[in-house]
Amino acid sequence: MALLLRAHYELAKSSLRQNRTRSYLTCLGIAIGVASIILILSLMGSISSLISSQVSQIGSDLIVVRPSSTKNAVDSVVDELTSSTQYLKSNLTMKDVAQIEKLENVTAVAPLAVSVNSLQGDDFVPSATVVGTNPNFLKIQNLTLKSGTFLRSDAKTNTAVIGSKLANSLYGTNEPIGKSLTLLGERFIIVGVLSEVDDPINFNNIDLDSALFVSANVLNTIDNSLQIQQINIRATNTDKIEETVDTIRENLIAAKSGDTNFAVLHGDSITHPAGTLFSIISGILSIVAGISLIVGGIGVMNIMLVSVSERTHEIGVRKAVGASFGNIFLQFLFESLILTLTGGTFGLILGYTLAFFISLITPFAPFISWEIFAVAFGTSLATGTIFGLYPAIKAARKNPISALKFWG
Amino acid sequence: MALENETIIKLENLTKRYGYGDAASFALKDFDLTVKRGEFIMIMGPSGCGKTTLLNIIGLLDTPTSGNFLLNDESASRISARRQARLRSKKIGFIFQNFNLIPDLPIIENVALPLVYSGYHKTRRLIRASEVLARFNLKEKEYYMPFQLSGGQQQRAAIARAIVAGPEIILADEPTGNLDSHSSQLVMEELKRIHSEGNTIIMVTHNQSLTQYATRVINMLDGTIDTDLKTVKDSDLPVPVSARKKKAKIKKKTKKKRSKK
Repeated sequence: MALLLRAHYELAKSSLRQNRTRSYLTCLGIAIGVASIILILSLMGSISSLISSQVSQIGSDLIVVRPSSTKNAVDSVVDELTSSTQYLKSNLTMKDVAQIEKLENVTAVAPLAVSVNSLQGDDFVPSATVVGTNPNFLKIQNLTLKSGTFLRSDAKTNTAVIGSKLANSLYGTNEPIGKSLTLLGERFIIVGVLSEVDDPINFNNIDLDSALFVSANVLNTIDNSLQIQQINIRATNTDKIEETVDTIRENLIAAKSGDTNFAVLHGDSITHPAGTLFSIISGILSIVAGISLIVGGIGVMNIMLVSVSERTHEIGVRKAVGASFGNIFLQFLFESLILTLTGGTFGLILGYTLAFFISLITPFAPFISWEIFAVAFGTSLATGTIFGLYPAIKAARKNPISALKFWG
Repeated sequence: MALENETIIKLENLTKRYGYGDAASFALKDFDLTVKRGEFIMIMGPSGCGKTTLLNIIGLLDTPTSGNFLLNDESASRISARRQARLRSKKIGFIFQNFNLIPDLPIIENVALPLVYSGYHKTRRLIRASEVLARFNLKEKEYYMPFQLSGGQQQRAAIARAIVAGPEIILADEPTGNLDSHSSQLVMEELKRIHSEGNTIIMVTHNQSLTQYATRVINMLDGTIDTDLKTVKDSDLPVPVSARKKKAKIKKKTKKKRSKK
């Protein structure tokens, strides 16, 4: 049997060689489909690993409290995608922040009350991310200031710290200290500018370079609907982090009279929602890329049908000298499999080449994992089998007598 | 039963009908034929008398509408397509009027084709094909493509392909039909040689002069046998090479017995 399979493989290879240009063009169709899938998976993989690496940079002593629903992961991710009202569902409050601050083994606590507002500085920015937080934020995030100071708890006036990109948009300079801006009708003085972090994707879901930071307490007084989306906590003792997480959870449940619609996370699980989100997005994008693979597959089927038709006489001869249905079937199926697997290999190379070029202009390094290789191999194999099946059956079912009379 | 008298093909009441009812036409009608091992049968007759249909049925490329076809005492017409294919690859060799070599394969691979389906390793296939081609004086043309060969050479390559797997029956459908008289003669000499080695050959031809090579001439008319003439006694038919040693042994033994007496 192994010998026969090898013989089929050799036959298929030699007949593909006879039509080199045609074979390569067909491969190209598959290669483009596979390449787009590889590219998407590689990008998504690198984004996910980027977020994970940020958490590991931030440290193992980070704890995050987020509002959560009792819905399953996919539903909550879909909610995140579809509804802007997700912010309003948050059940975290400034009281909770105060509650956590009192606990043992907690060094610093910073709330994140994120909203999108219009800002009027020298220029007008119709929608900017405004983060209500407290002075601890700088410490927890390990951020540095380019100039000025961060928010201070003893500030007498409304102060704000600005991300460098936003500073450029509002004032045309990244040294706007002392300048003022209007947010929700209130005047704020810029007291500090953050150093560029260039991490548009992070576990806070905030682009820090394009955000404005004000005191959560101040924001709370001018915007009643403001809610806290996340509380970042730094623990004192990393060894006791599990205990600390439990203590925070128990305390919050008690403080909220049994409301459990929040999650206390640490370590890798902090990035988990983002990971799930990206895997869903990458899944959907891959399906879109899969459509181009289907187009490639139809190309394979088309060429195989042409090949079967051209070689009708050959099929007759082969049957006359002893080829069975299975022999002819396998010969043609192997041809389509060789086409798609070669295309898949080209696609893998092409996909990673593109991913490499993208990595030159973006922070996303090509992400290499065995899963991606398996997807490339699996999809090529599946395409070859699905689209090679019909031509192979058609070839194998040819009547030898009429096939022998056929001269293409 | 002595080997030389072994029945290799037996057709009983074989009928091949095309169409139904009033439109029915019979390519073969209640056809009976018994072929002994080592016979060289020439089938003659006008066009459309069912010669090729008969050859296709014996070659397991076609199935009869009714009747029995026994190959080596086993029913061959009602077995699975897969077993028929296996029988074709091991027991039957085809020679066609238009050679039917695969144009994209070199001669040696064309000749080795039946061995692909008998499960030979590629190297062994090519060695065997090369040996057979050498017998047909085509050794130096092994890696020529079919179109580079003359008609006679192509047909000799096709004969080489027919015998490469060591079949029991060789079916030839007007093998000289597309050849000039010189090439025809060469091809017939090859067939004669193959026959003398004990192979059974059934050949369809229109050429009366070729009947000199046959041991039996059958004239067909409208799907039945019109005349059936044996020119060689069954006992004088050639014996397969493999069986010759046995026969020689038996002869020796009988001689010894006689001398003892």
